[in-house]
Amino acid sequence: MPHVMISSKKCTGCHMCELGCSAWHEGGFQPSRARLFADVNPTTAVIKGHSCLQTGCAKCQEACPNDAIVTRQITVTPAGTFAGKEKVGESVTGVVLVVDEEKCTNCGDCYDVCPYGVIHEHPERKVAYKCDLCDGDPQCIAFCQNQYVLAVDLKIDKADRALTVDA
Amino acid sequence: MDFYQGNVLRIDMSTCTAKVEPLNMDWARLYVGGKGLMLRYLWDLTEAGMDPWSPENPLIVAPGPFAGTNVSTCSRVVLGGKSPANGTILDSYCGGSFGSILKFAGYDLLIVQGCAAELTAVFIKDDKVEFVPAAKYAGMLTAELEESLRADFDPHMTSLSIGPAGEHKLLWACVSNDQYHKAGRGGTGALMGSKNLKAIAVAGTGRVTVGDARAFLEDIERIDTDYILTDTNYWVHEEGTPVLVDVTDGAGCQPTRNYASGTFAGASHINSEAFKKIRVKKRACYQCTLGCRNFHRINDTEGEGPEYETIALCGSNVGVDDIDALMQFNHLCDEYGLDTISTGNVLGLAMDLTEKGIHDFGLHFGDLEAYLKIPEQLALRTGVGAELAMGSRALAAKYGHPELGMQVKGLEAPGYDPRGSFGMSIAYATSDRGACHMRSFPIGVEVVEGSMPADTLDESKAEFNVTFQNHYAFKFCGIWCDFWAIDYEQMGMLMKHLWKREVTEAEMTQIGERVWNLGRLFNLREGYTRADDVIPEVWLEKPFTDGASAGKVIGTARFNEVLDQYYALRGWDKDGVPTEAKLTELGIDVRL
Repeated sequence: MPHVMISSKKCTGCHMCELGCSAWHEGGFQPSRARLFADVNPTTAVIKGHSCLQTGCAKCQEACPNDAIVTRQITVTPAGTFAGKEKVGESVTGVVLVVDEEKCTNCGDCYDVCPYGVIHEHPERKVAYKCDLCDGDPQCIAFCQNQYVLAVDLKIDKADRALTVDA
Repeated sequence: MDFYQGNVLRIDMSTCTAKVEPLNMDWARLYVGGKGLMLRYLWDLTEAGMDPWSPENPLIVAPGPFAGTNVSTCSRVVLGGKSPANGTILDSYCGGSFGSILKFAGYDLLIVQGCAAELTAVFIKDDKVEFVPAAKYAGMLTAELEESLRADFDPHMTSLSIGPAGEHKLLWACVSNDQYHKAGRGGTGALMGSKNLKAIAVAGTGRVTVGDARAFLEDIERIDTDYILTDTNYWVHEEGTPVLVDVTDGAGCQPTRNYASGTFAGASHINSEAFKKIRVKKRACYQCTLGCRNFHRINDTEGEGPEYETIALCGSNVGVDDIDALMQFNHLCDEYGLDTISTGNVLGLAMDLTEKGIHDFGLHFGDLEAYLKIPEQLALRTGVGAELAMGSRALAAKYGHPELGMQVKGLEAPGYDPRGSFGMSIAYATSDRGACHMRSFPIGVEVVEGSMPADTLDESKAEFNVTFQNHYAFKFCGIWCDFWAIDYEQMGMLMKHLWKREVTEAEMTQIGERVWNLGRLFNLREGYTRADDVIPEVWLEKPFTDGASAGKVIGTARFNEVLDQYYALRGWDKDGVPTEAKLTELGIDVRL
């Protein structure tokens, strides 16, 4: 199933993915609210990417006592290019994990289990928020150095194909 | 408010207090941000003749309005004040992430005045400002200091800090951000040191708004594709500045053995090809798609750089073609907090004085053992460093050979000898902070492009310098990086988002000219005159005997003629003072 990943090897540490992500979702540039992030140590230049693997991980979904993490069908058409484009074409259709804000009680169970630290309490809405692949146009991919670097790339996980779509 | 946060953070080191003032939006409209806004505040905060070492001398940190957005290259900040190195405007830039993070913390401008009773660090997290005794950080080198600040304050912080050179108030101590980004020139580190300020760390969780964010993103995606990720700019990612070694060496303008030659026999050992062989990774500044930062590794040394200026001044200018030693030297300058341009100049001068038998500093061109001790000696003012710390102008004068000190207005020269690029003579002479290649860069057309002859100096070169200086003065309000070859049309596309209307080239040029004239007024107010708009005599009268520029002479008379033409084109009188008519036309509201 489609998800984005930051290659720690290719990433240059520009944080453009976080900037694009936060502006698209939050209406302004605010990397503290990005749905993915590159942990960059500027002194050593060591980088570790953190992003949601969607159904390939699904620990948040498993942990949620209220079934508030639901799958939604999505067709992802990244701007520019992505590594598997030649194989799969312009778009990838699959499912993405999203928060059903009606059901979410902000209990925090998912925050504790996420291995990548990319699901949090939204400071204003007081519900969980996470990567939803920007309705199919991931801004992190659009603002990565794209054809030159492909550090933030669209990945497809074969193991997840059996999952059903609820929404 | 979109783009601006509307806040100026005023820090008083003497009382260890901070307060927030509203940003002067009239000035923001007239000067945009960065260089322009810094200069307008500087004028307002200082009295004529202020001692640059006095607590009143402000350290002004100014990003541009696009910092904290995804406009490429605009994380840059300017560090301003009155230069402790030479008394001109202090106007020194660095990339990294400080500008962006300062905006997320909620500030458009940081102004630090006063002097702390003991070495102090300032921690800023959003609206909280904390003053922390910094005795434990005293003497710490950059890498260890940054790791300590992250551990003690916030793992997501970024900082402006000084190394031992700044603590010892070396005239060319720099300020570091994210280890490798240096506000290098003019003594920014000395200014911080004079305030007993070891570091300013900032972490920010806030938001920068731009109006309709999704429309903005769409437009920036177009601009990135059409105007940034292009061949015009992408050489900085593919090659980086070491590519200039072959360019300047081929043109006969690479400083070699204290500017005795414009061509270096060992150039091929320290050129782009040589560095590509030891390149290990690429990194980018915050909010930059270009990613020009080259990391290299050789033997036990790994780190970013060296960039061209370091290769030229700390390589060829001191007779060093050993890439390992050069990497180590660059690393030591980063760690101790030294500007490599001034360091390489002073060292080249001391080697020259030694080899000419004028004074024996025990330093010789190409002698690696003594060379590698220099950064620490300069920073701590020990050994030979105690005397070299006076800088090129004073050192050359002390030993009776002022002609050997390659400086303009007391600031040591960068890596482009005007004998191989005549237009650089006017660029250096008229630069607002002394010998500087970042105000106008005629070598770009004279050597790189070849669209103007390199060995002529006439009114067209005066005009080129005026146009370029205005362009860059505006560009540095943005603050767009030198490495984005951005023209007015492209800047206009971004200004349209800022001002929510079409912005013409004429408007932007005028802002640039306004900023340039304000800088000129400041330097005149501080006692600089036409007599200081000069360059070393050897550049004008003494031709090289080897290299592509051998035998070429600019000539003092010709230089003065073109300087007159430059003043006339600027609307300045024959003494280089802006006329009342010019100041009125530009809407400058201050007078000498």
